[in-house]
Amino acid sequence: MWGLLNGLTIAITPTNLFYCLIGCLVGQLVGVLPGIGPVQATALLIPLSYGLEPTTAIIMLCGIYYGAMYGGTITSVLINTPGETASVITCLDGYPLAQQGRAGVALKVAAIGSFVGGVISTLALALLGPSVADFALKFGPSEQFALMVFGMSMVIGLMGKSFIRGLVSLSFGLSLALVGMDPISGAIRYSFGINDLVGGIEMVPLCMGLFGLSELLVLVEDLNVTHKASALNSSTLKKEELRPTTMAIIRGSFLGFFVGLIPGTGSAIPALISYSMEKSLSKHPDQFGKGAPEGVAGPETANNSYVGGAMIPLFTLGIPCSPTIAILMGAFMMHGMIPGPTLFITNPDVIWGTIASMFVGNVILLILNMPLAAAWAKLADIPNKMLCPAVLVISLIGAYSDSNSMFGVGVMLVAGVIGYVCKKLDIPLAPIILVFVLTDKMEQNLLQSIKIHSGVLGILTSPIALGLLVGAAAVIAGSLIMEIKNKKSSLLEGDE
Amino acid sequence: MKTNITKFHLKLLVAIMVMALALGVCGIVSVAVADEASDFPGREVTIIVPYDAGGSSDMISRFIASGLGKALNCTVLVVNKPGGAGSVGMTFVRQSKADGYTICYISTDIMTQKVMNISDIVPEDFAFIGQVAEVPGALTVHVDSPFKTATEFIDYAKKNPGKLTVAVGAVGGAWHTTATVLEEGAGVKLNKVSFSGGGAAAVTPLMGKHVDAAVNGAGEVLSGVNAGSLKILGVMTEERMPSLPDVPTLKEQGVNVVFGGSGAYALPKDAPQPIVDKLSAALSKAVESDEFKDFITQRGMIIRYRNTADTKKAIAEQNEVFFNILSKIDK
Repeated sequence: MWGLLNGLTIAITPTNLFYCLIGCLVGQLVGVLPGIGPVQATALLIPLSYGLEPTTAIIMLCGIYYGAMYGGTITSVLINTPGETASVITCLDGYPLAQQGRAGVALKVAAIGSFVGGVISTLALALLGPSVADFALKFGPSEQFALMVFGMSMVIGLMGKSFIRGLVSLSFGLSLALVGMDPISGAIRYSFGINDLVGGIEMVPLCMGLFGLSELLVLVEDLNVTHKASALNSSTLKKEELRPTTMAIIRGSFLGFFVGLIPGTGSAIPALISYSMEKSLSKHPDQFGKGAPEGVAGPETANNSYVGGAMIPLFTLGIPCSPTIAILMGAFMMHGMIPGPTLFITNPDVIWGTIASMFVGNVILLILNMPLAAAWAKLADIPNKMLCPAVLVISLIGAYSDSNSMFGVGVMLVAGVIGYVCKKLDIPLAPIILVFVLTDKMEQNLLQSIKIHSGVLGILTSPIALGLLVGAAAVIAGSLIMEIKNKKSSLLEGDE
Repeated sequence: MKTNITKFHLKLLVAIMVMALALGVCGIVSVAVADEASDFPGREVTIIVPYDAGGSSDMISRFIASGLGKALNCTVLVVNKPGGAGSVGMTFVRQSKADGYTICYISTDIMTQKVMNISDIVPEDFAFIGQVAEVPGALTVHVDSPFKTATEFIDYAKKNPGKLTVAVGAVGGAWHTTATVLEEGAGVKLNKVSFSGGGAAAVTPLMGKHVDAAVNGAGEVLSGVNAGSLKILGVMTEERMPSLPDVPTLKEQGVNVVFGGSGAYALPKDAPQPIVDKLSAALSKAVESDEFKDFITQRGMIIRYRNTADTKKAIAEQNEVFFNILSKIDK
């Protein structure tokens, strides 16, 4: 605790405060602009940070990371375009809220949730630090495979009304993920001789097309419509929503932190688990997908508290848990520090300064976002005929800048048309992208554990893996039973 | 009232679009204009990095870009064109004008393109400017491992073929091939488990003791070694690395394996010789900068400057090793 207070005095020096603000702003900006994620932004700013003091540089780069987590929410809510995977889930209820003229609610709930999540996980990082680091190492290929299966079972919760349509969506995501180089043998699958497909389909343009562009196509059907912001309490929660939303935020904070500890999970998993958890705990699960504030609050909280969790393996073991963290690790090394437990002894000012700056940064973001939420929400009632061209231009630039190639733009356009068709056919889009993200890891981990244990059964020798697989089976069985019950009752209703 | 709202929205929209454009423009390469070699460089030069921003290749290139810029007295941009194990970016440069304004970062991946059926790119498609860095391979275990030296490790592997699990990169990548070179050089059979996603991906399972050892870049295991949880049994260099003077080479322990990845720069094959020479001279100055030296040492790499002819020769030699190993693999 002493270290943290000491860090706070470092974090609030004018210079550090200034760069923390810069980092948060840049992060928020790249979060808002689809195509440029925290990974690219951090990478681009690393050379600029070379002249700065190490602490200041790291503080700024961390600011970009969690600033982007905030920013990604805004486009998801307003124009149904997630800036990165962590925000895919936010679209599910955030966008319906915006369509009801309650974009302000979604943005505020997300801002508060992100703040609480960020603070709780930073506190946990400061207090628990090294003592939970070993937890991260328990997750080898078998355990990670089981975790991915568990995550996959959670996707069932997002399938919407029709089980069959959900399965169509799921298998489509699965087959998209198989395109490109086999992660183990290096064999090339379904690339049809196109070089750009060898590395697989890029997630960002796919996401932008399926969600954003398809939504534009829907909007274009009636250009004269304006989503009139309903005057009634457009940015406050209804009384009955208060309790579930608060609970979602608290649960999301702890969930995100613990998932962050596990290497290689990515921020989509805590968001996904949080959403499914809230939906199953809710008294009115039918409201999910139609604009339930807790469906925004839980995942948004979880993906922000994930950041604090993910810092632990980096600070204490020198293991980068996610691509952005890997770049942060590069920044540490460039400033002559090698992340690991010795860092707490050799450079305590840097570590504690950085941890404390995450508190400060979360406060900055909250102050920035509470008033901004109302301003952003106004964007939602821009007439379609003005909104659509602007969003299209931003999306095209985003798709290009993701990998600096026109191929990305092509991917986005094709995905947009597919997304539009799916919407017309009532096929849910979220499972496509989430399964797409999970499959790659899942396949790799499965093949690795088979190789390590010389067979499939070896996976079951790990208690963690066994537990997660049993959990996944229970989730699937549970939803199947619910599905059959619902079918029966709707049939009965039909008879009457 | 209505016009007021519209005006406010227009402003907001314009502001957002300007920001988007400003960020987008950073990545756009300007159209080529013909130049004479003597005027070179008459405008900004672009280094295409066929990998994601933030990786070692990208970082190396950003340091080199600033060094080249100083030596040539022009702006040198770095543009990432990731995808397909480097094939997307390399294809882009191969097809671009051979006027010296588009340079490609070339990694070990160039040697695996054809034999792994990734693309039809071969080293002969490029005119090499020079090599700047070498990423030495290393054999690393957990500190709790029963093996204290490379000799012990190899002896055990000889008696128990296929029993030791070793974390490596994807098949066809530099570290999988390095592990195969180790197997052949030492006459052993290992159970190689691929962890794609850069050499760092192989470190986590080793720290969690899910595998017995890892073969990857020495730089990748540095933080683990510093943390006291990993131990490098041997580096695959001719001599001990200056940044790791206490770590023995495999060679001095009787395992004659010298191998690693490389980082070089090249132009499309038809580039005029005077321009290649000019860039090569600038490159030799860029590797001398203190910033670059610090960076390379901290990342566990070695500065290995090779001129045009030596780079071509070194890549041709390594290409043959890769071809021999990879053509035997059952894909």
